[in-house]
Amino acid sequence: MKNYRKILTVLLLLSFLTLVTAGCGGGGVSSDAVKVGVILPLTGSEAMFGEMEKNSFDMAYEELKAEGKTTIGDKEIVLMYEDDQGRQDVARSATEKLVNQDKVAMLSGGYSSACTNVIAGSAQTLNTPFLIVTGSSDDITKQGWDFVFRGTAAPASMYTGAFWDMMEKVVKPQSVAIIFENTDFGTSSSKGFREECQKRGINIVFDQAYEHGAIDFKPMLANLRSTNPDMIFATSYVMDASMIVKQMKELNFDTKLFVGNGAGYTMPEFYQNAGAASDFVASTSLWVPNVSWQGASEYYEKYKQKYGKEPDYHGAQAYATMYVIADALNRAEDLSNTGIQSALKDTDIQTIMGPIKFVDWAGFTNQNEPNTYVVQWTDGKLEVIWPEEVKSADYVYPVPKWSER
Amino acid sequence: MEDAWIKFGQTVICGILLGGMYSLIAIGMTLIMGVMKIVNLAHGALVMVGMYVVYICATNYGIDPYIGMFIAMPVLFFLGCLIQKYMINRLVEVDSILPENQVLLTVGIMLVLTEGIRLFFKSDYRSVVTSYSSDTLYIGAMSISVPLVIGFIIAMAFTFLLHMFLTKSDLGKSIRATAQDRDAAIFMGVNSSKITMITFGLGAALAAAGGSLLLPLFYLFPDVGHLFTAKSFIITILGGLGSTWGAAIGGLVIGLSESLGATYISMGYKDVVGLVMFILVLLFLPGGIRSLVKR
Amino acid sequence: MLNKNTLMTIVFALVAVALPVIIKAPYQQHILILVIIWATIGTAWNLLSGYAGQVSFGHAAFFGVGAYSAGLLTLHYGLSPWWGLALGPVMAMLIALPIGAIAFRLRGPYFALATLALGEIFRLMFLNMTGFTNGAKGILIMPAITSKIAYYYIGLGILAATLLVTYLIVHSKIGYYLVSIREDQDAATSLGIPTTFYKNLALLPSALFTGLAGAFYMNYVTFIDPDIVFNLTDISIMVILVVMLGGVATTWGPTIGAALYIIMGELFRTTLGSANVLVFGVLVCLIIMFLPNGIAGELDIIKRITQRKKAGLSGGV
Repeated sequence: MKNYRKILTVLLLLSFLTLVTAGCGGGGVSSDAVKVGVILPLTGSEAMFGEMEKNSFDMAYEELKAEGKTTIGDKEIVLMYEDDQGRQDVARSATEKLVNQDKVAMLSGGYSSACTNVIAGSAQTLNTPFLIVTGSSDDITKQGWDFVFRGTAAPASMYTGAFWDMMEKVVKPQSVAIIFENTDFGTSSSKGFREECQKRGINIVFDQAYEHGAIDFKPMLANLRSTNPDMIFATSYVMDASMIVKQMKELNFDTKLFVGNGAGYTMPEFYQNAGAASDFVASTSLWVPNVSWQGASEYYEKYKQKYGKEPDYHGAQAYATMYVIADALNRAEDLSNTGIQSALKDTDIQTIMGPIKFVDWAGFTNQNEPNTYVVQWTDGKLEVIWPEEVKSADYVYPVPKWSER
Repeated sequence: MEDAWIKFGQTVICGILLGGMYSLIAIGMTLIMGVMKIVNLAHGALVMVGMYVVYICATNYGIDPYIGMFIAMPVLFFLGCLIQKYMINRLVEVDSILPENQVLLTVGIMLVLTEGIRLFFKSDYRSVVTSYSSDTLYIGAMSISVPLVIGFIIAMAFTFLLHMFLTKSDLGKSIRATAQDRDAAIFMGVNSSKITMITFGLGAALAAAGGSLLLPLFYLFPDVGHLFTAKSFIITILGGLGSTWGAAIGGLVIGLSESLGATYISMGYKDVVGLVMFILVLLFLPGGIRSLVKR
Repeated sequence: MLNKNTLMTIVFALVAVALPVIIKAPYQQHILILVIIWATIGTAWNLLSGYAGQVSFGHAAFFGVGAYSAGLLTLHYGLSPWWGLALGPVMAMLIALPIGAIAFRLRGPYFALATLALGEIFRLMFLNMTGFTNGAKGILIMPAITSKIAYYYIGLGILAATLLVTYLIVHSKIGYYLVSIREDQDAATSLGIPTTFYKNLALLPSALFTGLAGAFYMNYVTFIDPDIVFNLTDISIMVILVVMLGGVATTWGPTIGAALYIIMGELFRTTLGSANVLVFGVLVCLIIMFLPNGIAGELDIIKRITQRKKAGLSGGV
């Protein structure tokens, strides 16, 4: 029985300790610092992106430090990371802690739409500026929340900007099929695409959601094939994307063009898993390493060298966001919440994701007008094919049949 | 009309093949549940660990996943034995209000395994690509992926071997005796703590085998196990607790019904089909498929 | 003995009421509110599963339906989500009836797995009925109240009601029937106890208060989607963890468990970086291995043994 007692005492002590440390908390950061809270999923199933974004934040921070841009007056910018575990109640706790406990000057981060929604809502109620990195749900910047800014991330329904241009000039499909994962990003972006199709009178012959993580997509693909669409528009999570194109190859399912909607279709893992099946798959994208914006390819090379892994657009979003933060904090008249808010509002900066400005348009508030691209896989390389001014390779359309490759 | 038949054939064949691999994972669970009467929520995590062992063999030493499987199985057998002996077994002997605290322990084990793997491998998605990964077999206009066929054959072979082991060998008979009546088995001189240890190890090894068979056509990340845990439960109950053949057939039934659901209802609802079947079986056929056979 | 218990309760209540006055920092208040929400779900789960022994793996269904009742009122009718506090519990009870009708025909692990499957079915339904529930996009509301203290006292009221009702049920005749069903259902049936009826008497209040907690959660966290509120691991299984940590079939167990779960989780998260869930998992294993009946449960055993020793009897486990 002594054992129990010991454990019990330890447990009780632990909980007291918690309350005490949480009560006096604040950590080792001195008060003459400008604290920026960054909330990312560092554990849980989204941690892969959280890690990539954290690394990119750190990399940008070091570069800015070398340029002396991380010191404002006598105060230094300090990044404080918090893990949201990919769960929105934890994201809420992290926001509360950063704002009320650590007294951060502003917030950034936000990967999943669910967590970003919650952080944005809390930031708005707590009057703390929040600059979103990835969270792409349309609704977030449609609430009229003036403390919430979205620069490097496009609203989910807007990923297709450049693609619609290409549709009009090149693809001109009579019929399209839409498949999407039943998550926030999947439903929002396919909704946007569907509405645009209806507006333009394009016939939607197939429209189905699926639960991510499936092993066998052939049932859906077989149904899809019998509708014989000119083009397929797919929104998929990382590996579902490669499962889908691999199984299309196995089915010998030919279509004039298969377009993914960012996410799974632009990541290095997609090619690693899908191999040759990835050829000629097109995708919308917010960023590619060989895009013509200054610093983009340098970022890509440097990241690859430093962390031994290829980054994708999520990393670029975080990297560019850090530059936007440093720029705004350096320009801010004072480091109060409203001071930073108005500095962010006046942002006009060139980043590796293109120019960033926070404007109000089409019902959005503080939303950068995103630059979007259409990319296409060729031999394991992602080439920009649209818009034509920035293309790195010519588009292939219609794509060759499986039997002719 | 022709098209409709091809679609139907495709659906049925793929469903059955995939179901075969579900079976193998579920047989691991049915053994554990049958002998120890506990719900093992860490089962999917064991599948995941097994897949990582195969992954390491394949990427670091160039070992083919189907051979790597025979490395993963002993590793997981050993891990399973350790978990049973030093963690779960402790609880079996302690008196508690609800036996479900063992379930919770398996939740803790699941967290530790998943997050431990994450610490080493990060959350990156990994895949083992082999020369035959995208080979396809064509029967008429139906296309069937080769790794799926190989996986199915190996899974069925394992099921058969396991069945032989359980019915013919002394150790196998002791396992079955413990599953039927633990106390009686102890009186008959069965070393129950050794038996439970071996059972858990065996269950873990089978989970690893199932995972390895899926690897050439699937992918890998630390949370991949969640996909399998709930599915194995459903199959276990469908087949009848503790029944190897029941679980094998249950796996095929679930594979088939998901596949049919995906084709004729919607991809989004395919899991609902399996779950509804599960509840219907619970209500109207409480002994599972096994009770049908015995009747 | 009773006096001592009442005294303890009064002390607990006073501390709970005074806490937000002592702890003024909004972050700590936020943690307390989360503790209250989890304590409520835990206490509700404890009635059905701890006392009556019907271990549910599907409480996320009640929680989710409660949360969605509040969210959908706002989404479809523009009503304040606070009306969800009235509608949520009712809806949760309504779905509890068919769930009970199905699951109570089964026992032990079969019952547990049936509730697990039913919970998952609800998640998939809410995910796929996009027209009605907004699907995976979820429901986002702007909170009308920003003061943490208001939320704290509303939550505390809900928890107090849950504790009181549970206490009354458990200490009435029904409570003894429930425990007898847990200990030996066949014996209970043979004594003429209509077991299914009494199980439902435990299920309905359990669903009611879980739904209430769900509706409150929607109001407080302001965003829900099906993968969050119907989550098998994060809700259904975590509530079991909360109660088991604190003590199954004890009055204060779930509350103690909720405090431990939230505070430790938060402490680890903020101090241990990316290893935080791993350490949490290790701790869960240790607690269950060494305190199999939870902290409040083992406390009773310790007390009993020390008292027995005092009485001059030989102590032993």
